[in-house]
Amino acid sequence: MPSIVSVTELRKSYGQIKAVDGVSFDVAEREIFGLLGPNGAGKTTTVEILEGLREADGGTAVVAGVDVRRDPSGVKERIGVQLQQSAFPENFLAREIVDLFALFYRKRVDAMAILRSVGLEDKARQKQEKLSGGQRQRLSIAVALVNEPRVLFLDEPTTGLDPQARRNLWELVRAIRARGTTVFLTTHYLDEAEALCDRVAIMDGGRIVALDSPPSLIEALLKRGFRKELVQQQANLDDVFLDVTGHALREE
Amino acid sequence: MGQVLGYTVLLLRAYARDRTALFFGFFFPLLFMVLFGVLNFGGSVRVNLGVVDEAKNDQSASFIATLSKIETFKLTSGERDAEVAKLTAGDRDLVLVIPGDFRIAPAGSGTSVPTLALYRNSARAEAGAVGTAILNSLIDQLSFAVTQTAPVVSLKSQEVTGRNLKYVDFLTPGILGMTIMQLGISSVAFAFVAERSRGVIRRIMATPIPRRNYIAAHVLQRLILAVVQVLILLGVAVLAFNVTVVGGLGSLLLVAVLGAVVFLNLGFAVTGLLTTENQAAVATQIVTLPQLFLSGVFFSRDAVPAFLKPVADFLPLTFLNDALRAIATTGASLGDVGGQILGLAVWAVVSFFLAYRLFRLD
Repeated sequence: MPSIVSVTELRKSYGQIKAVDGVSFDVAEREIFGLLGPNGAGKTTTVEILEGLREADGGTAVVAGVDVRRDPSGVKERIGVQLQQSAFPENFLAREIVDLFALFYRKRVDAMAILRSVGLEDKARQKQEKLSGGQRQRLSIAVALVNEPRVLFLDEPTTGLDPQARRNLWELVRAIRARGTTVFLTTHYLDEAEALCDRVAIMDGGRIVALDSPPSLIEALLKRGFRKELVQQQANLDDVFLDVTGHALREE
Repeated sequence: MGQVLGYTVLLLRAYARDRTALFFGFFFPLLFMVLFGVLNFGGSVRVNLGVVDEAKNDQSASFIATLSKIETFKLTSGERDAEVAKLTAGDRDLVLVIPGDFRIAPAGSGTSVPTLALYRNSARAEAGAVGTAILNSLIDQLSFAVTQTAPVVSLKSQEVTGRNLKYVDFLTPGILGMTIMQLGISSVAFAFVAERSRGVIRRIMATPIPRRNYIAAHVLQRLILAVVQVLILLGVAVLAFNVTVVGGLGSLLLVAVLGAVVFLNLGFAVTGLLTTENQAAVATQIVTLPQLFLSGVFFSRDAVPAFLKPVADFLPLTFLNDALRAIATTGASLGDVGGQILGLAVWAVVSFFLAYRLFRLD
């Protein structure tokens, strides 16, 4: 499969700190690719370089056929982003937020159709700041789709969501991929990466320390002789929680 | 351009839903108008005018008769020394001396126009300013009548009688200036500091919209708001408070927009120095409070202490208020307020440079 994101020897330093220290990887078209790592590993810096928000010091990054370092605004045209710790302007209705971002991409869109695709059609006339956390994340993804991006970047999309809303968002991400969009996500939650990602890269100290599909990574670990005390458990607490509270999405 | 206009429209719609912004943009200035205008500091201002008639001819008598018809004036007459002494004692706000050569006729060649001497009580600046404005406009109208056609003093004097400069007439342009200042400085500082810290601007800059379009839409939105504010406040002033606006609406709007440009630039410049909303609260007060008191919003600038005058005279709100007030209360043309417009233009250039250097989106 052709790669849609291609990163070679990417570098970025802040003073003495090498935030990104020679990172290389490829993301295939229509893949759900996960970038994992502890806080300060350099995930967000890497993603922000790929999104055209930050300049790299060295290396190359090509996203959707555009050299990010040469043409950051060309990249912005072709990708969809959902940023961590970002917000939408207040006093805008949900559908106005969609219209607003369509305007930023100079696109004409059917705001209602886009809201429907993330299950927010009945919230169209509500102020965006009145939406629940999960609804706001879905609005954020809807907005990231207004320019029909080839790659969708999601930075910790499920942080702060309850288990029902998380699973709902996973379904949405799978549906987006099914429509042909590549998804690049960063997350702290390993269960999320395991459930969602075709391949994951694990970053630490500005470098990629592992990169493969979750089952292959686990297999490789076991081959190296790793053993964990075997506990036969047919379910976990997550399953209990969902069993007693149901899968239905809650409106906070 | 379509992007800027489209964004501006969406910003205006969001503004219309923002209760806090509406309160400070429209209700708050109206509240001031009610407080100061209706409860009023003494209804319409009474001006104690001492008249010293040194001409004692028919024309000076008719001039005094005209003055006595003006409700605002409480007329007394006497000798110059006695009247000036009463002025010093605070019993008079103004003393007008009609010179011996007084006549209402065009100046012949080689003769000079008679000069009326006016003594003002600086302790009663308020009444002095109102009285002077009325006297000026009366003299203007007399001169006009004389030089245009045959003297028709009695007819003109009736028109003058109808014009009674009330305190709200004086106050309204000041409130307009204050509102424009708040719009430029506070609305920009609070909006951008909040949007920056919440990550709104970061999110928008992850789209391909050029920075200049983003800023242009925010500026355009506020310039439109300035015009709407002026129209609504003037409308309420005229309809509800019976304010008389003598000058042209077009001139008022033009000056208002120029003032808005200055204060928006200053707002963007100040915002560049701030990171938190607490800082914004302090910084906007530092910029706006002195102007609120030194630039003649509520009271005449004559009340400003002498040592602050050199500063007060060059504040942007001073230029704005003086121009708006001259147009609204005396019907000044744009040419008449050319000095103030020049002052605002200089401020516009300086403040644009400051904004350009200091403002940042991230």
